[in-house]
Amino acid sequence: MIEFQHVNFAYEPGRPVIADLSFRIEDGEAVGLIGANGAGKSTVMKLLLGLLQGEGKILVDGRPVNRDSLGEIRRKLGFVLQNSDNQMFMPTVYEDMMFAPLNYGLSREEAERRVDGVLERLGLTELKHRHNHRISGGEKRMAAIATILAMEPEAVLMDEPTSALDPYNRRIVINTIRSLPQTKLITSHDLDMILDTCQRVILMSKGEIVADGPAGVILRDRALLEAQRMELPLSLSGGQAGR
Amino acid sequence: MHMADALLTPAVAATMYVASGAVAGMSIHQLKKDDDPRKLPTMAVSAALVFAGQMINYTIPGTGSSGHMCGGMLLSALLGPQAGFLSMIVILAIQSLFFADGGLMALGANVWNMAFYGCFVGYYLIWRPIMRGGTNKAGQRTRIIVSSILGCVLTLQLGAFSVVLETSLSGITDLPLGAFCALMQPIHLAIGLVEGLITAAVLVFVYDSRPELLREVGAASGEGRRSLKATIAILAAVVLVVGGGLSLLASSNPDGLEWALFGNAEAGYSENMGLDEENFGVSSAAADKAGSIQEATSFLPDYAFSGSDSAAGTSVSGIVGSAMVAGAAVLICLGGGFFRKKHAQ
Amino acid sequence: MPLFSAYQRACPMNKMQKALRELGEMDDLAARQSPIHSLSPTAKLLTTIAYIAVVVSFGKYQLSGLIVMVLWPVLLFQISGIPVGLCFYKLRIVLPLVMAVGLFNPLFDRAPMLYLGSLPVSGGAFSMLTLMLKGVLCLMASFLLMATTPIDSLCASLRRLHVPGLLVTLLLLTYRYVGVMTEELAVMTDAYHLRAPGQRGIHVSAWGSFLGQLLLRSMDRAQELYGSMLLRGYHDHFHYALMKPFTVRDGAYAAGCIAAFLLLRLVPAARLLGSLFVR
Repeated sequence: MIEFQHVNFAYEPGRPVIADLSFRIEDGEAVGLIGANGAGKSTVMKLLLGLLQGEGKILVDGRPVNRDSLGEIRRKLGFVLQNSDNQMFMPTVYEDMMFAPLNYGLSREEAERRVDGVLERLGLTELKHRHNHRISGGEKRMAAIATILAMEPEAVLMDEPTSALDPYNRRIVINTIRSLPQTKLITSHDLDMILDTCQRVILMSKGEIVADGPAGVILRDRALLEAQRMELPLSLSGGQAGR
Repeated sequence: MHMADALLTPAVAATMYVASGAVAGMSIHQLKKDDDPRKLPTMAVSAALVFAGQMINYTIPGTGSSGHMCGGMLLSALLGPQAGFLSMIVILAIQSLFFADGGLMALGANVWNMAFYGCFVGYYLIWRPIMRGGTNKAGQRTRIIVSSILGCVLTLQLGAFSVVLETSLSGITDLPLGAFCALMQPIHLAIGLVEGLITAAVLVFVYDSRPELLREVGAASGEGRRSLKATIAILAAVVLVVGGGLSLLASSNPDGLEWALFGNAEAGYSENMGLDEENFGVSSAAADKAGSIQEATSFLPDYAFSGSDSAAGTSVSGIVGSAMVAGAAVLICLGGGFFRKKHAQ
Repeated sequence: MPLFSAYQRACPMNKMQKALRELGEMDDLAARQSPIHSLSPTAKLLTTIAYIAVVVSFGKYQLSGLIVMVLWPVLLFQISGIPVGLCFYKLRIVLPLVMAVGLFNPLFDRAPMLYLGSLPVSGGAFSMLTLMLKGVLCLMASFLLMATTPIDSLCASLRRLHVPGLLVTLLLLTYRYVGVMTEELAVMTDAYHLRAPGQRGIHVSAWGSFLGQLLLRSMDRAQELYGSMLLRGYHDHFHYALMKPFTVRDGAYAAGCIAAFLLLRLVPAARLLGSLFVR
């Protein structure tokens, strides 16, 4: 369970990026966080992970995110970065996937078993010993998701998981997301993907929540979306995007 | 400027490894004391950036040729001398391991010639004293340009001179030391100027966009401030003496320089190794250690086995034997190829 | 097609792309399987260093002694199945440097050392050839090391040899980002030359901003990378996943090779071999 209570954040005084933000995500929910560029979506993620510190209260499973709880909370939350190159800092996929389990004190054998299990489940076994800078963009994204799943997190956070992917790889990523049993918080401009993977949508603008509700309702509200510089998902607009 | 393995004897290579290793050890110690965990990823990304950045060709106006950037100055201005030095080690290691630029054995010498001077001498003697005095933006920009150029020229002069010394001490070349210097120093004076200008351009850009990324910029404190003119005058004198002076001395009086550095070529060999280290500011403990390693490994250079395969011994049998070895090598190649083909089928 | 060739003219494969290809080739070679690949990296590293040390320790005229040392890399190339071509491609960097130093020797050292028929061969020529051969042998040795050892297992073995963890981790991370940065600069270089046809390098007006822009972005990248390390439980030291154990076989290989090098260094094998037949 993730909860924000009246959270504020600003990089510079007087220019808030997040303004009095409150919401609550229950266990097992899949939530899409949408909004125009600069709405504060990524900042929400970073605040939740303790990479940024704001005012107000952020709770994960009832524990406030602070210096003492950080280690435990980060272990529960797996974060898939938008830029996989920044996430995968080891030379090979295998080394990258082993990184978190070994840091969390698993034995080599246990960690290896876990890594093999995740790779097999995602159909990536042949990527295991490949070099990170020599796999394609789609493979890299899947490998990045795999490194996070190897942590066995209780919730998965994803920043633009389908950006810059071709339709085939995008579909693979969407199917993977759908198959994950964890709590999910996904930011994206790909509203079709959000519609496919999330039951609930939070729409943000200028650091505030504009709308929060079932994906099927918010993503069908043309006026609301267009006011926020977005368009109806293609699958809901009868094949005609926008006007 | 990258030395190859073949240009060094094991004794010289080992001495340089000890010297560079000592500086690396001190740098690691300092970084551990600073305890900034964010530093590691920044060092890695900066090192990778410099590695790639050194492949950029910058057109030199008015000429058809191009120049490259100087990594040592850039890295120490961004990361400080210790972190810059370690990043340079890693860059040089990757260059030698994957691109055959330098060598495994020569790594110690290359680190010394390029990373040590660029990071430590460039930082403590040039960058910090010059940048400390600045107050306003235009002044700081001038200071960045001046220190980049002075720094690159000085560190390249020192580096080139070390290459000459290391090669000569290894007894690889018959070129007299003076003539070798006369070849190397002026070329590297020109290269240093160009590298300095390119490095200055990059640093000024960083200063204009995000000055907080640069070390010692805007850290003007009341005490110890010297006017830019005075600082430049002092440093320019140092650079002139080290760079120009050395090449002048070398070309006008080659025998004198050689005599001064080597003394009586055979008797003073290991003593002069010690002298060399002192000249470049290694602590005497390191120099002593280097000297003892020198003695311990001195059975390796050619004097010891003079009976077995001396100059005169290169007789007909030597040639015949060599030819047979070459034949055996060819046979192994053919045989191996044959074996693999069969294996593949 | 004409469009394509215009692009090709504007952007022939740039330096960074070549470097990336070279890096990729080394990765591919290191990922192969062979008896040499399966040896412990520690054993390979030690033998390579010993080999290079022995090679460079030969005196400047000891050409016939040195020539026997050719056998080791030749055997390794054969057993590991590594093609020698890429290795020779890398010689383009080593040889000019070595030759620049060695070429003066025939000019300064003219005393004839031996006569091939009536043709005198000077000491300088001998020392130049020795120097060049040393250059080739040392290159082959370190090339073979890297072509049969993936960087991550080499780093693990450096750790085992007590190279400080900070340096080893830095090497590993830098190696990873060398690939990323080189690719970014390759794209930027292409983009630059497409808008500046006919320019051979970066114009002076863009000297600062070209690399500077990437530098600023890189600093943000480092920040994000650090975040990503923290989120996966990073605590001031790295675990190396790929740890090959040092077995008896590795010990035997290293000891055998090093003993052979020393023997070849002390015994003038080529001359002895020759004297069996001549005389």
